[in-house]
Amino acid sequence: MLETFNSLMLGFSVAFQPEVLMYAFAGCIIGTLVGMMPGLGPLAGISLLLPATFGLNPIIAIVLLAGVYYGAMYGGSTTSILMRIPGEAASVMTCVDGYAMTQNGRAGPALAIAAIGSFFAGTVGVIGLMLLAPTLASFALRFGPPEYTALLMMGLFVLAYMSGGSMTKTLAMAVLGLLFGMIGIDAMSGYTRFSFGIIELGDGIGIVPVAVGLFGVSEILLTAGQQDTPRVQNPTLRQLIPSKEEFRLSVGPIMRGSLLGFMIGIIPGSAHIISSFVSYGIERRMSNHPERFGRGAIEGVAGPESANNAAATGAFVPMLALGIPTSPVTAVMIAAIMIHGISPGPMLIQEQPELFWGFVASMYVGNVVLLILNLPMVGLFVNLLRIPYAYMYPCILAFCILGVYSVSNSLVDVWIMLGMGGVGYGLRKFGFDLAPVALGLVLGPMLELSLRQSLAMSGGDYGIFLERPIAVTMFALGLLLLALALKPMIFKSKDWRSKVGLEDPSD
Amino acid sequence: MTDSAKPRQPVKGLKSDQISGLVLAALAVYVWWLNQEFPVGTLADPGPGYVPLLLAIGLGAIGLMIAVFGGRSELLSAIPWPEAKRAAIILAACMVAGLALEYLGYRLTIFGFLVFFIGVVERKPPLAVAMVSAGFSLLSFYVIGVLLHVPLPVGAWGF
Repeated sequence: MLETFNSLMLGFSVAFQPEVLMYAFAGCIIGTLVGMMPGLGPLAGISLLLPATFGLNPIIAIVLLAGVYYGAMYGGSTTSILMRIPGEAASVMTCVDGYAMTQNGRAGPALAIAAIGSFFAGTVGVIGLMLLAPTLASFALRFGPPEYTALLMMGLFVLAYMSGGSMTKTLAMAVLGLLFGMIGIDAMSGYTRFSFGIIELGDGIGIVPVAVGLFGVSEILLTAGQQDTPRVQNPTLRQLIPSKEEFRLSVGPIMRGSLLGFMIGIIPGSAHIISSFVSYGIERRMSNHPERFGRGAIEGVAGPESANNAAATGAFVPMLALGIPTSPVTAVMIAAIMIHGISPGPMLIQEQPELFWGFVASMYVGNVVLLILNLPMVGLFVNLLRIPYAYMYPCILAFCILGVYSVSNSLVDVWIMLGMGGVGYGLRKFGFDLAPVALGLVLGPMLELSLRQSLAMSGGDYGIFLERPIAVTMFALGLLLLALALKPMIFKSKDWRSKVGLEDPSD
Repeated sequence: MTDSAKPRQPVKGLKSDQISGLVLAALAVYVWWLNQEFPVGTLADPGPGYVPLLLAIGLGAIGLMIAVFGGRSELLSAIPWPEAKRAAIILAACMVAGLALEYLGYRLTIFGFLVFFIGVVERKPPLAVAMVSAGFSLLSFYVIGVLLHVPLPVGAWGF
């Protein structure tokens, strides 16, 4: 414990450096703006800002990008509550009761509770990250290729089980992403695969063009043409103060949402999105007056907002401790760190304590900055929402082209982005979740390498996965979840999705 | 007899999941065909074609599952495509901008790109089009290219 405290002090000595503070502050503001703009979620925002971090030191780079990430979580709630437009997908549930509160004249308390809940959840998440990541990293030092294979496979099964939509569609998208990850030079044999003679594809497909295409461009393709600029309410500071009753009703959901969100954040998938759906479902089931939900229940804002912010922090645990991204956002952040020659993973905390603890401390600072920044400045931020979409979407597209091109000064990346934009548009029309594609792209090369190394170690015997306790435990857990996911398809029964109001997987 | 008591007529036509499942299965066959170029190796020494082959088999199987269980999904013809024409225009304009980027440079390309969208596609007033297009292209170049030192393409005319 004393060691953790000393390490945290080291982190604060890094985080309180004026330059780091300035970039954390900038990241939070940019993130808030990005989160408010439809079509520019945290992933696209981080991807577009990636080239700007090349010239920064790695600590500042990750602090800036993390600021954008959790800033976007805050920003997304503002548009959900005031306009019923989720700036990013995790805020969809906030729209339901948040906007109903706005219609009831309680927009201010909804915004305040969302901000307080996000602050509390963010802080719980950082404490969890601080305590869990070093322990997990020490444990992961025992991992060899079979354990990594089992871990990655378990991650894919968990992703399928926890996905918001159909399990088979999620798995299909994960496999498609894994196939994209096969493009380029094979690390073990030197063969160039599926490159169609394009030299730039020798290094494989980058996560940035894929992420911006799938999430940014496809969103614009779906939403371009909308003409209305909605009316925006602008609550004053006095109107932000919740009543005693609203505060009392929010305490439980904030605490439950924070713990739930952090736990869901650690597992793979669109955790921050799923956590907000699950939290909403739980709060509705636990409420003595479930009929209030959908008509402006503050618990419907407090729970999901806390959950999605805690999940955003929870996703950093496997990223920093194991070097494994559990979401497209953390995949891009791993790319950002690797550009500086640093590999996230079990050795990161020992080899780069300033980076890890500086990052943790900067998240404490970032949460305070966001709380101070967001409530008084909400009136200023909502002005952005008054810009007509006809002016906004071409500028977002220009940013997409600019951001993707400048990652490696390659036009091929722009073509990949546009191709992925078209593919993403089509897939969304057919009800496919896109996050597993981006996740599969990053996990593909890791999974292939560890699987082939495991088979080489065992002389081709798949039994190696049953001989090692950690690997067999992870495989068993993964298969159990797969069986649970298949059950409603086979027996036409209901599963957790139906209970929290998500799509029935058997459909 | 009320409407709800009438026997439900099965709606005929291809369902969205049936189509998407079959497309995924076809993609899996294509990957398998491309992968024949690479040695699969042995179990003790898997080659570069080993994992792609496993994935192609997986994708094919899942694609067929989606198609088989897709009978309850919505009809393909029921999926609305009101924005498809505009989406095609957007993609085409982005491709042209991508081609022009290295020849005309960042500022000219983005200026032309915004003039096309805001002026031609969205039909906004010329003054607003000129101000937004010029302002955005110059300001974003200054912030990203000059202040943040991100190298942006400069065309033959120095823009």
